[in-house]
Amino acid sequence: MPDKFQIPKTQIIFLMVVIVAAFIFYAINLASMQIINFTEYERRAKEVASRETTILAQRGEIYDTSKDYPIVMNIPSFAVYATPGELDEEQKEVLKINLNEYLNISFNDLDRKIPADTTGSFQPVELKDALQYEQITYIAEHIEDFPGITWQSKPIRGYPEQGSISHVIGYVGNITSEEFQVLYNKGYDRNSTIGKSGIEKQYDMLLRGKDGSRMRMVDVKGRRIEEDAVIKPPENGNSLVISIDMDIQKLCEKALGDRIGSVVVMRPSTGEVLAMVSYPYYNPNLFYTDRSKEEYTKLSLDQRFPFLNRAIQSGYAPASTFKVIMTAAVLQEEAFPVDRTVTCHGSMTLGDRTFNCHKLSGHGPLTLAGGLAQSCNVFFYTMGVEYLGVDKIAAYSEDFGFGNYTGIDLPGESRGLVPTPAWKEDVYNTVWVGGDTMNISIGQGAMNVTPLQMASAISMIVNEGVAYKPHILTEVLDQTTGEVISEVQPEILHTSDISKDTFRTLKDYMRGVITDGTAKYVITTQAVDAAGKTGTGQAGYDEQWDSWFACFAPYETDNPEEQIVLVVNVEAVNEWEWWAPKASDMILQGIFADQTYEEVLEEFDRRWYLIDLRKRQQEAMEAELAESEAETSVEGLQ
Amino acid sequence: MRTKSFLRFEIIILLAAIGLSVIGIMFIYSSAISSDGILQNNEYIKQIVWVSVGLVVLIGGSFFDYERLRSLSLYIYLTLIGLLLLVLVLGEVVNGAKSWLSLSGVGIQPSEFMKIALILQLATFLEASGSKYSDFVRFIISLIIMAIPMGLVLIQPDMGTAMVYIPIYLVMAFVGGIKKRYLIFILATGALVIIGTIIPAWDIFIVTEKSVKLAKVFSEPKLLLIIIGAAAAVFLLSGAGFIFLKKRYFYWIGFAALIIIVASGMTLGESNFIKDYQLKRLIIFMDPQVDPKGAGWNVIQSITAVGSGGPGGKGFLKGTQSHYRYLPQQSTDFIFSIIAEELGFAGCLLVFVLFLVILMRSLFILLSAKDYFALYIGSGVVAMIFFHFIVNIGMAMGIMPITGIPLLLVSYGGSSMLTTMTGLALVSSIYLHKYKY
Repeated sequence: MPDKFQIPKTQIIFLMVVIVAAFIFYAINLASMQIINFTEYERRAKEVASRETTILAQRGEIYDTSKDYPIVMNIPSFAVYATPGELDEEQKEVLKINLNEYLNISFNDLDRKIPADTTGSFQPVELKDALQYEQITYIAEHIEDFPGITWQSKPIRGYPEQGSISHVIGYVGNITSEEFQVLYNKGYDRNSTIGKSGIEKQYDMLLRGKDGSRMRMVDVKGRRIEEDAVIKPPENGNSLVISIDMDIQKLCEKALGDRIGSVVVMRPSTGEVLAMVSYPYYNPNLFYTDRSKEEYTKLSLDQRFPFLNRAIQSGYAPASTFKVIMTAAVLQEEAFPVDRTVTCHGSMTLGDRTFNCHKLSGHGPLTLAGGLAQSCNVFFYTMGVEYLGVDKIAAYSEDFGFGNYTGIDLPGESRGLVPTPAWKEDVYNTVWVGGDTMNISIGQGAMNVTPLQMASAISMIVNEGVAYKPHILTEVLDQTTGEVISEVQPEILHTSDISKDTFRTLKDYMRGVITDGTAKYVITTQAVDAAGKTGTGQAGYDEQWDSWFACFAPYETDNPEEQIVLVVNVEAVNEWEWWAPKASDMILQGIFADQTYEEVLEEFDRRWYLIDLRKRQQEAMEAELAESEAETSVEGLQ
Repeated sequence: MRTKSFLRFEIIILLAAIGLSVIGIMFIYSSAISSDGILQNNEYIKQIVWVSVGLVVLIGGSFFDYERLRSLSLYIYLTLIGLLLLVLVLGEVVNGAKSWLSLSGVGIQPSEFMKIALILQLATFLEASGSKYSDFVRFIISLIIMAIPMGLVLIQPDMGTAMVYIPIYLVMAFVGGIKKRYLIFILATGALVIIGTIIPAWDIFIVTEKSVKLAKVFSEPKLLLIIIGAAAAVFLLSGAGFIFLKKRYFYWIGFAALIIIVASGMTLGESNFIKDYQLKRLIIFMDPQVDPKGAGWNVIQSITAVGSGGPGGKGFLKGTQSHYRYLPQQSTDFIFSIIAEELGFAGCLLVFVLFLVILMRSLFILLSAKDYFALYIGSGVVAMIFFHFIVNIGMAMGIMPITGIPLLLVSYGGSSMLTTMTGLALVSSIYLHKYKY
């Protein structure tokens, strides 16, 4: 060692300074994390380990007016969920393959719900619902094939009453992103079930209740930590009682049969809808099966529009039923003396156009009462063009509620249309002419009324000037206790200025239609005295017409509660049977004799129209049989 | 004399080492508790054994005169080089690296013990070469002494451990009087290589909007070659300038040019064998969110654990990040994260203070060392412990890249425990034998 040993003090002190500086720097850094930003990190630590799962609220059930049994209920079933944030890429692949294989979920669906990118959410995503208990036990037994899968009870909607009630009740489905965007701040989340139509949609907020939640801590593998979970219990939805009487609903449904059209039965004294049938209808239970998408698509593409509730969503020319409103106008305006006559020669000419009556030979001289009873076109052409004019016709139409919403508690109601010169100017940019007035005088032309609007108009006549808002909901119940939470009170939709005398006379005239008019031979029931009006609308077919019958019964009563308004519309697309008054006859019999459709058929066995019907059905069956025999013989030859 | 030796026994380092080891055992135990409260493994028992053996080494080694190692250092060094070669042939692959030798059931990591061998051999050489060789030759030979084991460990490949050899070398050379410009040369070259490696990766993984043009300089081999060429021209011109014009600044221009040449060359070479995941790990501390479920996961979970510990911690065995297993490699690389989570800032400060005590005490001992050999050994040991501390804890706090090196004395592992205890034994021995008799 040639050099004399000397401690390199500078170097060592330099090292000391570096070390102390580094420690101070690290301590400051640590303090900034653990003391200054502590709460932020604490929140993150909680977030990474806590999982919130929803406890679904039980959706309310729906009862008909008898409250005997639910017409919509909850059927126990399960839904499976995945938490994308807990899965690595490999697990996602395994999961997708097995889910596709076992639960038949398409890869498209899976890729959308479990995105492949690594920033997965820790919020469970619902993959499939309406699963049976057996399917869940299979998954539980093979959980290693289904990494990260959880499940919970998610009852599906069951509709034990299938048939025409579907239009009233509607159905439920998973919330779409469009719906979610609108409703996200109203307690819905991405996994919510939501009413899609009918009462299910209208009263979704009442039915759905409020989901609860379970907050718990999980480890990195998603296993629960033995710790008390924080539970917010769900609030179950309310059950609803609706005014529909399933007996009447069934009766109407069967009386209409497989004819495209609709039936409305209302209680005029309250506005309660007792029956609402629209054919064709659909079976909502199909939407909770594996084939739901196909079924839905099939129904959507059906040319007969089974999703359309014709009773409130379809407008038709009121045709001769409109003559009731015309009569009310003539009476109220005293535009034409009730004892004066107009002579019908079978047609009437205005300018260079000839307007026919439905009886081409002519009705001869008719008073107002006779004109309504015989539904004479010439009489009402005369009234419309010469004594009332379009403005009054339009004003009275609107007074009876045409061209305006009835405000029924069902989504998607159509407004209908009352044409006026201003409207025509606006839409077609042409002048209103005398021919237009002729047309609306007999309820043709652009005049457009829904069956429910018609029922509401007749109700106003029954009530002699007061129309109650038609409604379906009558009571809201606590789902668990069955206790009535609230009752829906009748609400006046409109009060007319037309005098009570006018209404009374009008009722008499409408009774005349049954006793001595167009409906004389078709309204045969002895169970009740009805009053009404037929209607036969032109709808662009040569041999087929739109068939209306609007009536109320009993014609006279001391107890307004027992009165009903019945409106039947059978579309012109059906084979011409003049079915609306015939169906009404049977419905009136059923309601007032307290009979089922089958009992009515038995009772009415020898009615001419049923003999006719059976004969036609017999012929059709034979023709079909012959056809199928021909087919079998062809097959036999092969 | 013997009684005097006993009196002079280095008790402060011993106590600090015991303190850190006990904290280590506690948290190795804690890390083995799963979310269900079940003990997953018995690593802490093994650690107790290692600590016991380590303390025997520390105490026993203190009485062993370090001066006897002067003649043994070369053999120790060569033996470990041999073991490092052996490990490449017979080693077991753990965590993707062939770094373990299995000796009748006990796994040892020669690369750990190599740190001590390197310290001893460098100390021997630096002392012996003090006036024998020119500064430059001293620099080159000592660099080679470090580069051979470093190269062997890089081949395993265990980048983390290999990196530790560099600061050991730098600090020993710094204390050993190697010219600063040589050390600056190494530091500058290293920094340039790191920048050259990270920038293209940063461009790929972090800059998502649009590629930064400058980054291309480091990723395009052609451009790098042009840079090397230009720098070489500058180097030659300034060399000529220095020789003929005798101007001092030509020397420094040439010096800078040489750094650029070497760094560019190494960047060029390095890009061929550095793996994508290593690159990602290197840059992930800049922004762990680049890959939150992959390379970034560890960092994010560790930072969350540390921060959520707060001032006082969640309590022993009460950490959620650790016991719910969000935190990976808890007993080794990320042990500090559990300590921080469960003991909080207070507990972390205790760990800091214990390390600071060991390091400062060691440096104070060196101030009274009796020869260069002791001085160099001591500074090597200090460099090793300090570097481990800075990298490991920095990694847990998310301010250092993930390199997977343990927190000495605390992390689970026999080889690193014995290596550290041996290092501390050397320092204690220096203290105990500080007077010539």
